[in-house]
Parts: sequence; C-alpha cells; structure tokens
Amino acid sequence: MNQGQRLELVTKGTVEIIQPIELQRVLEEKTKPRAYWGFECSGKQPA
Amino acid sequence: MLRKAASLTRLPGMMHIGTGLVCGTKIKDMVQAGFHFIIFLADWHSMINNKFGGDMEKIEAAGEYFKHCFTALGLTEDKVEYIWASELASKPNYWERVIRVAKTTTAQRVMRALPIMGRDLKAQEVETASLFYPCMQAADIFEMSLDVACAGIDQRKAHVLAREAGEKLRWGKPVALHTPMLMGLAGIQGSEKGSYDEDPKLSSVIAAKMSKSKPENTILLHDSPELIEEKLRKAYCPPKIVEGNPVIEYYRLLAFPANKTVTLNRDQKYGGDMKFSTHKELEEAYKTGKIHPQDLKSNMARILADILKGVREYFDKHPEPLEQMQKLEAR
Repeated sequence: MNQGQRLELVTKGTVEIIQPIELQRVLEEKTKPRAYWGFECSGKQPA
Repeated sequence: MLRKAASLTRLPGMMHIGTGLVCGTKIKDMVQAGFHFIIFLADWHSMINNKFGGDMEKIEAAGEYFKHCFTALGLTEDKVEYIWASELASKPNYWERVIRVAKTTTAQRVMRALPIMGRDLKAQEVETASLFYPCMQAADIFEMSLDVACAGIDQRKAHVLAREAGEKLRWGKPVALHTPMLMGLAGIQGSEKGSYDEDPKLSSVIAAKMSKSKPENTILLHDSPELIEEKLRKAYCPPKIVEGNPVIEYYRLLAFPANKTVTLNRDQKYGGDMKFSTHKELEEAYKTGKIHPQDLKSNMARILADILKGVREYFDKHPEPLEQMQKLEAR
C-alpha cells in the first residue's frame, strides 16, 4: 500500500480531520503510528 | 440462561450499530493502513458520567461486553490493543497529567467541551467530577503516546482542547479524526429536544445520535433479523427526500462501506432488482422516485441482518458477557 492509498483509507468516511497535513506527515514518518478510540461502557443515559 | 434478543433490547449498555459499524469499520481501515490501534475502554469516564448509576462493577461488565462486541466484529486482540481507563489511571503519573492539562485551560473552556457526555449544558446541574472528564480525555491521549485520536464529531471540542494543551505543554499535537454521527430511526425531527452545542447544526446532529434515543429508535448489534425489520418498517423515510432521511443515511454510512455494490431486491411487478455501485447513484434514484420507501426499508433490514450475522453467531457461542450483565442488572 502506498502513502496515497493509506491516506485514502484513513480519511474515507470521515467528516473532519484536524489537520489533514499533519495526518499526512504522521503517515509519512511512521510505519506504525498509534491511534485510539475511546468508548464509554455505555448504559442508561443519566436523567 | 441467556434471555432472547427481544429482551436484550431493554438491557442497558447494549451496543448500537453506530458504535459497532461506523466506529468498527473505521478502526478496521486504520489497522489495515498500518496503525497500532487501541480500543480504550473508558470505565472511569463512564463512572464520572454516571453510566449504570456509577456502579463500577456493572461498568466493567459492560466494558468486557464491548470488548466481545468488537471481537465479534473482527477486531480481535491480535489486531487491536484493548486498554482500560483504570489501567491507565493506576499509573503513577496519570493524575499529574490530568492536572497539568487542567492548568492549561479555563473552567469555561472545559464546560464547553462537556456535550461529549450527551447532556444539556446547565452549569448548576454539572457535577464537579465532570470537569475532569475532558482533561482526562486529553491526558489519555498523551499517556498512550498517540499520533491520532478518533471519535464521533460530537467530541471535537475535547480533541481541540487536547491539541491546545499538547502544544502548550510541548507534549505534541495529536491529529483528530472525526466520524459522522448516526441518526436515530425517527430522524432529526424525532430526536430529543435540547442544546448539545452552541452550533445549532451540530447540536441537532448530536440530538439525533442513536445513543441518545429510545431502543425502538435504534438498532442494536444483537437485534434479530425480525426485530431489525420491524424497527425499519417504522423508520422515518419520506418519499423522494434524502436530507434528514435516516434510511438513506444508513445506506451511505453502513451498507456501502461494507459492500462493493448494493443490490435492492424488488418484486418483478415493481421493476425487479436494482444494483448500485455508489451511494450517489442510489440517492439520485430515490430522489426521482424510482425507489419506493418500502423497498428502501426492507432491503436495508436484509443488508443489516446480513452484516450482523457474525455478531449473532459469536454471542450464541459466547453468551457469558451478556449473562453477566443480565445478572448484575437483575440484582
């Protein structure tokens, strides 16, 4: 996968990237960059 | 014994398809693009936000269940790393980081980053503990040395806060990647009233977010094909209108990302099957009245039931996490 394909895969379906140029730099500089998604262990919404 | 899908609908903490599919798909993309991806189970944050009445035992059971959901969706432990917030919080420097972040900003800014918790903004009603929440989100990002933080668009303020804190503290500026919020089946007009953001447009998007709504307004990862069909039958789906139409939205955010082409099965007498390779094509056909809302709905039900088949099979084989949640809930 080349850089362009990687970038496309990562940005696909997103509504916003802050900032795209920084993301591009991360992908260029690192083969295994670190990312996360945090999830609340969701339950009933508080009243 | 595990109760059947219909009663699971009323069990609190069940994962919505927005979480499972929108987030799940994006995480898969990132893994494929070479990321070391962490699924962060935010037990502390859930406690602050009074999930399960702040009962840590229930929150942990729900987190364990979430881990199983993502595993069932293909995000196994050899592909992603699962980290609990409580693991991070037990490290010696964690709370120092939280305080350092808090020192870079004002209470007013932190308050503004609070709609992440899905609440209406009324200062008098906000617990003091809530003010830690955005600061912890930022601290988490730095503690795990992340390059990219992913979330739904409702979390943008927390991410902006983290970027600013990172810059001031010279800890680096994480890239923030935001995904769309999935509308509830009743659409925007069926969502709860309330202000979740100063930007009215974003506020209504957050209000229509699936997790804010009632079970009949959302599709859960565990819903049976029959239940999915029933829920979709009642969905808001005005003919020829695509804006604010949740069913059209589900094609864009769920059906097309999961399939190269989407086929709508129709009775011969209504024109037979239709095949689409892009969401745009499908939208155009709907706008011009070439697709009946009923066909749009019944096909979405079939497609979703198909996407979720693996999850149902997984939990048939591994009922323990659900049983544990039911047990705690019945206490």
